[in-house]
Amino acid sequence: MNNPTNPRHALVYLAAMLVTVLTFPLIWLGGLVTTHDAGMAVPDWPGTFGYNLFLYPVSAWVYGPFDLFVEHGHRLLASVVGLFAIVLCVIAYRNESRGWLVKVCYLFLGAIIAQGVLGGVRVLLDARTIAMIHGCSGPLVFALGSFIAMASSKRWRLASPKTGSNGLGRVAVMLLALSIAQLFVGAHLRHSLPTWRPLFFMSLVHTHLLMATLILLAVLYVSVLVRNFANSANRELRTPANALLVIVTLQILLGFATWVANYATPWVELTPWLAKYTVQGKGFWESMIVTGHQATGSLLIVCSLWLACRSYRRVPVEQSAEQSVASLNNEPESTARKVFRPESVSVGVE
Amino acid sequence: MFLKQIPPLNSLFSYVLAIWALACFSGCTPQEINFRPNELHVASLSQDSTDQQVSELAKKASEHVGELFGTPDLPKWPSEIADVVDMVKVKRSAGPVGRDKSKVEYGLFRKHCVQCHGTTGDGQGPAAALLAPYPRDFRRGSFKFKSTPMGKKPTHADLVRTLEKGLPGTGMPAFGTLNHSVEFAEDIDALAHYVRYLSVRGEVERRLISAIVNQENAAEQVKIIASKVAESWALADSLSVKPPRLITAWVPEDRTAAIERGKAIFLSELTACSKCHGKLGDGDGTSQDYDEWTKDWTIRAGIDPNKKEEWKPMKRFGAIKPVLDSSRNLTLGAFRGGETREDLYLRIVLGIEGSPMPAIARKENDNPGVTEEGIRDLVEYVYSLSNPVTGANPVTGANPVTGGADPTNEKGAENEQSN
Repeated sequence: MNNPTNPRHALVYLAAMLVTVLTFPLIWLGGLVTTHDAGMAVPDWPGTFGYNLFLYPVSAWVYGPFDLFVEHGHRLLASVVGLFAIVLCVIAYRNESRGWLVKVCYLFLGAIIAQGVLGGVRVLLDARTIAMIHGCSGPLVFALGSFIAMASSKRWRLASPKTGSNGLGRVAVMLLALSIAQLFVGAHLRHSLPTWRPLFFMSLVHTHLLMATLILLAVLYVSVLVRNFANSANRELRTPANALLVIVTLQILLGFATWVANYATPWVELTPWLAKYTVQGKGFWESMIVTGHQATGSLLIVCSLWLACRSYRRVPVEQSAEQSVASLNNEPESTARKVFRPESVSVGVE
Repeated sequence: MFLKQIPPLNSLFSYVLAIWALACFSGCTPQEINFRPNELHVASLSQDSTDQQVSELAKKASEHVGELFGTPDLPKWPSEIADVVDMVKVKRSAGPVGRDKSKVEYGLFRKHCVQCHGTTGDGQGPAAALLAPYPRDFRRGSFKFKSTPMGKKPTHADLVRTLEKGLPGTGMPAFGTLNHSVEFAEDIDALAHYVRYLSVRGEVERRLISAIVNQENAAEQVKIIASKVAESWALADSLSVKPPRLITAWVPEDRTAAIERGKAIFLSELTACSKCHGKLGDGDGTSQDYDEWTKDWTIRAGIDPNKKEEWKPMKRFGAIKPVLDSSRNLTLGAFRGGETREDLYLRIVLGIEGSPMPAIARKENDNPGVTEEGIRDLVEYVYSLSNPVTGANPVTGANPVTGGADPTNEKGAENEQSN
């Protein structure tokens, strides 16, 4: 059953990719909810102003206040993601031979449901602390969905666990841990409570900056490390490493822009433009920048996970991907190609 | 069959669900938010007191004030004092953020302002220590950019203006972007009322603390103080100064002459503008001063704000590191109180309350001072520092002399291109 080109496995991969891709805009919308402090724009749950969630009038949603638009939209998209997570579980149950991966799919569905319940409890209790937990766990659910996509890919089946010393793997895991910790600190900054003392908030900001520096250094180290590998098989490690470099650069720029969008720059008298710059309260681009910083943070986690997976499961050096497919394929090629052409869809996250 | 395969309750994901459920119901319920007692003011008035005495005295004052003004979630207004706020609007701005079943939005202050100004309006919101300048503490009843004389309260329109346009180069946003919302005008107006409410409440608390330190009866004094403070706000509109209509369509030679006269006034001993703003107006003066909010708990309490060992003990009462109120670089053209000539006129005539910027000495009878004409020349000189060539309008870039856009002005150049 563990055939890399089995079309039934490709189906699991496609479903996992679909649900993961849908989760990312859900994180964006969730970020917009926080940016616009729209968590309580709809005061009831699971309904919307007394309506069933799906029956709330579209005109009232689209033409209503922006915070209501964002919050109700977040709930609708979350329902769609939940629906696709159920579909993923059914597909995995029917087609996936690895029991542990099926259980991870169940775990993913459970996590999606838990996220929904958590969001609902946040509304019912009007508790910002729960909103913060909800905001922290969202990117982790996204990472879990991405992991399912990685584990169901053709490459994962071709690869085998790395044996011997694995310095890159350790750095990747450390980077993943740092990214998650950074997410937690960032979520605290985003959901700060009005009762917090300024010095506590300041220490959180300094921690966020320190961790950003550590993440940048780790990503630079990873970039250098993967470029030192000579053999062709290890070139595949460069893809997640390059993606990490791009994302961390973007994230640092977005982080600075987020501060400016929220609080202006600390060096106002440097140029006339900075001196004249006025923060726009709840401005469109300001909201996009701040939300983008948060959403890119979740991509950082996923890319760190991607690198860690590729570090710990590597395709044998002497065996190219095509050769591996040929050698491992026990099923009639014609049957597989007629239905799914898995080799054409197995590129993506993995 | 599919359902049978779903892991039983003791599987991994059910543990995760259980952890989330625990997180939801243990200690995550919303905390009641209260106004923070003004311990810093107590500590600055009675430095020999122990921490416990400071805390008790501040709490006592806060409780007395609380009886009159309520809490952040349930504000109220004493019927005995002047009705200077609209309580319907105050209640819209108060409390937690959200909409009620009829879609009316509440908690505007926590949504837009609390991150910097704090629940109490004490300028001690979570982000306060990282901002320059620090967010305004409303409790002193002093506001910088207003149309009323020194020591007087701002008008409602002054507060609305700051909320709408923001303060360039600071963390104070312009909420004019809410314009796309039909609720915009109501939101800004409601917030301005809430700022008034917080300011009155905070000033009453400050004055009551002083009365208690002076061994006066708190219960008797609190209503008297509240009446006086509310009365001062009620007077604000009648004290508002209207700037004269200043020349914008200058004949170039006249403008050059006015700028020269204004420069002489700027550099004179009489106004001493250059001592702070520098001879070139670039903020390179010699003055080193702090704002009144800082002086309250440092210099007036016998603490040197330049000596860390002296001010550091006040941190436990909520003090943030004293920062010099540096003079503005006028050549940048970033005027926080507004960038038109009329705005500059008001800043020069009225000063900037709470900052080292004084109101100009005006010539009256035989007193030395600057005449009305001199003030207008000074305005033109300050204006020319960032609009040197033709006196183009800083907002539109339009050149009043030629009628076209001023290419030396950034905005004017943009307009010229778009035309």
